[in-house]
Order: sequence, then C-alpha cells, then structure tokens
Amino acid sequence: MSDGMVLDRVSRSYRGGAGVREASLVVRPGEIHALVGLNGAGKSTLMKLLLGMLRPDSGAALIGGVDVRRADSRTWSRLGQLVETPLAYGELTVRANLSVAAQLRGVPSAERSMVIDKAVEAFRLTEYVNRRTRSLSLGNRQRLGIAAALQHEPDFVVLDEPTNALDPAGTILLREAVARLAGQGAAVLISSHHLDEVARIADTITVMNAGRLIGHLDPQDDDLERAFFQSVLRDDESRSEDGEQSA
Amino acid sequence: MNARHRFAIAVTVEGRKLRAARVPVVTALLFVAGVTAICMSVTIAVTNGSAELVTKLGPLVAEGGWAGYLSSATQVVGAGGFIACGVVLSWSFGREFAEGTITGLFALPVGRAMIAAAKLVVFFAWAIAVSALSTAAIILGGLAAGLGSPGAESFASLGRVFVLIVLTALMAVPAAWVATLSRGLLGGIAATIALVASAQVLVISGAGAWYPPAAPALWAMDPASVDGAALALSSFFPLLFAVLTLLAWRHLQLDRA
Repeated sequence: MSDGMVLDRVSRSYRGGAGVREASLVVRPGEIHALVGLNGAGKSTLMKLLLGMLRPDSGAALIGGVDVRRADSRTWSRLGQLVETPLAYGELTVRANLSVAAQLRGVPSAERSMVIDKAVEAFRLTEYVNRRTRSLSLGNRQRLGIAAALQHEPDFVVLDEPTNALDPAGTILLREAVARLAGQGAAVLISSHHLDEVARIADTITVMNAGRLIGHLDPQDDDLERAFFQSVLRDDESRSEDGEQSA
Repeated sequence: MNARHRFAIAVTVEGRKLRAARVPVVTALLFVAGVTAICMSVTIAVTNGSAELVTKLGPLVAEGGWAGYLSSATQVVGAGGFIACGVVLSWSFGREFAEGTITGLFALPVGRAMIAAAKLVVFFAWAIAVSALSTAAIILGGLAAGLGSPGAESFASLGRVFVLIVLTALMAVPAAWVATLSRGLLGGIAATIALVASAQVLVISGAGAWYPPAAPALWAMDPASVDGAALALSSFFPLLFAVLTLLAWRHLQLDRA
C-alpha cells in the first residue's frame, strides 16, 4: 500500500467569502478518519478538493502520492467515493447501476458479476436487485450508492455524510464495510455533521468549523458530543474576539 | 486499461442509460408519429383543396402527390427534428447536474471528457435510428395516404429527409454545451429553441444557407440553394460545439450550488 490521502495547506474560496482556508489533513493507509463539523463548515468543499471536483486556489491534494490534478486512470481506479448524491440512475435496476459503477471503476468484465453479487449481499440489496432504482426508498438508494462506491474494494475511500437517509441497519452495514476496508489497508475519509455511529469507530476525528480544521477529538472520549460542541463554540468565540479586536 | 478500452466502457454505459430511459424513447416515438401524422394531414388537406394551408406551405406542397407530401415532410422534419434532438441532448447532459449524479462522474478512471464524447456518440446513434424510423414511417404514411409507389425523384427526396435528420442532430450539439454551462436541462432546451427561431428568421431574410442550423433544411428542400462553401462552414459548427462541450466537461468544477 502506498501513501494515503493528503491535503496540504489547501485553500479555496467561493464568491461571498465561504470556502476552505489553509486546510492540511493526512489520512493514512488503514486509518478511518472522520471529519466532523456543523452544516456549512466546509466538509463537502474539502472532499471535493480532494477528489478534483474543485481546484484549490492554493495548496495541493494528493491521493497515493499523486497530485489529483495529474492523477491517472490507475490512481482513480483505486478510489471509491460518494459525495452528496449516489451514482444511481433511476431508469436502471439496482444490478445495472452496480454494473455501471463497476465498469466505470475499471473492474474487469470477468470479475464484475462476482463483485456485484458480493456487494448485493454485503448491503442486503438482494430483494431489490432487479427493481428500477427510481422505485427505491431514499435509504435504499443511499445503500446502493455506498455499495457502488465500495464494491471494487478501493484503497482510498471518501464518503461525504454517508449515513444521511440510512436506517440503523444500513448504518451498521456501512460501518462494517468501512471497518473491513480499513482492516485491509484502505485510507478512509468520512464526514458527518453529527457524531454518528460511523464517526465513533474512527481512529482519528478532526473537527472543522467555518472553513478551517480546528483540532481533533479523542475517539475514546466518553462524551464526544460535548467535546465537539465545546470545540466549535471555542472556535466561534475566538474568531468573534479576533473580529472585534481588528474592528 | 487503455484509452480505447475506457472509451468503449463510456459508450457502453451511456448506451445502457439511453436505452433504459423514457425521455429518448418517448421523444423518438413522438417525433416519428408526429411527423408522419402532420404530413398525412397536410396531404389530405391539400387533396381536399385547403387554399390557406397551401399558401402557407408553398407551391411545392400544392402540387400534391409524393413531391408535395415530401416537401411538407422536409419542412416538418427540419424544425421538429431540431427540437427532438435538442431535448435528448439537453436531457443526456443536463440530467447529470439536475439529478446530482455528476459528483459520481468525478474521480473515475474513465475521464469526464471521454464520458461527454460517449454521450455525443450515443446521441448520434440514436439520431440515426430515429432518422431511419422516420423515413420508413414517412414512406408508409405516403402509401397509406394513397400516393402510390414513390418514383426515383421521390426516393432522392426521401434520402435527403434521412440525411436532414442526421445533419439536424449535428446542428443541435450546442444544446449539450449550454446544458453543461447552465448545469441543467432547461438551458439546453432554451438554446435549442433559440437556434430554431434564429434559423427561421435567417431563412426568411435570405441568409439561411450561411447559417449552419438552417443550412441542412434548405439543402434538403433544394440542394442547389446551399453551395459548397456554406456546407463546409456548416460542418465546422457541430465540431466547434462538440469540442467546447468536451472542454467544458474536462475542466468542470462543482463550484455552484
């Protein structure tokens, strides 16, 4: 396994001032790294920068030691991601969507059927496998999206708020899949706006607030929620004091 | 996985999406049935002596028979084909943004420019199939309207109708570019309507042959009305917008809400 995923002093601002400022983050092989922050903290922007969906104003994003601006098909074939919306087309069946995702990830045709069967079983999609995706509930559609992102057993995993719309059973399946991939050496970055079940199994928890990475939480902390809110509150107060002083 | 293999994957995936979706199938059926129904109605109206319709559609339609029938088919196909092709292109490119699936098309071994090229290839294959179906339906419509067997000249006109739909598909490519820039379907459809309307205006003004979106229909109506230089200019038009679309997909950033 080569290097994991790295964000090196990455900045990117949107019109209106929001964005990410000087963010540095390392997700090592075999590590589950949770990124937590309130809505609008910049988590999705950070993940988009890592995946080449946004180009940084400054800094660099690297996957497996390769700058994402120059990443080739071999690098991308080792990555699985789900940001915002699952790659699931309503007109295709669950199986066809998994097949499309496997093809686009470069899974060889000889292995495709086996890979899809395993994903269907791992994410308990058997009863929906021949149903058109548009008829699925939001939760099952999300389950399909996660299966599509992880079925090829990637070395690098980026999941943006994957527990959105998932029921408890789906959350447990996701947690098991993520833990298994990390156990095989995958670098996993997973975001959440609350300390959900997946964030709680992370090896590292980084807190993001107002576009900046403001510190870490101890995954062993008995009261993670309190520690998280205190961390965000402290940062908000400190920025507000800085603002008053400069004014 | 080499570039050829990746492109083959992109074409397979886009073909699968297009075949399974309702929009391309419904658009094709509406177009084929609509063109045939309108042409048959016009022929029947001309046979019954509708002077007002004859004045609007021109002297060729007034001749009746296969010549009149195919003249009305060419006029209907010219405008209707543009709308049908624009709708399918706008859907193919704009849906990825409207449905949010565009995020899943990043960070893949198959690049986005390759996916955009595959979308264009699959769309073009759809247009050829629609063109073949429409031409067949027009022939059947003519036979059903009691026009008898078409002569050699009518077959030449039918050939031009087939080519017209294929060329119209090429001239509709700006819809893909605008759908990409506007991040949705409606921009592409608006661009299609703008192209059709501007083509109509330029045809009326007499400069239509030099306006690529209008040139195929003018050529199909009267091949001598569009000279070689104008046709050459027309061939650059879809090429330019195909390149612009591929570049837009290659450099795409998800920087808008």
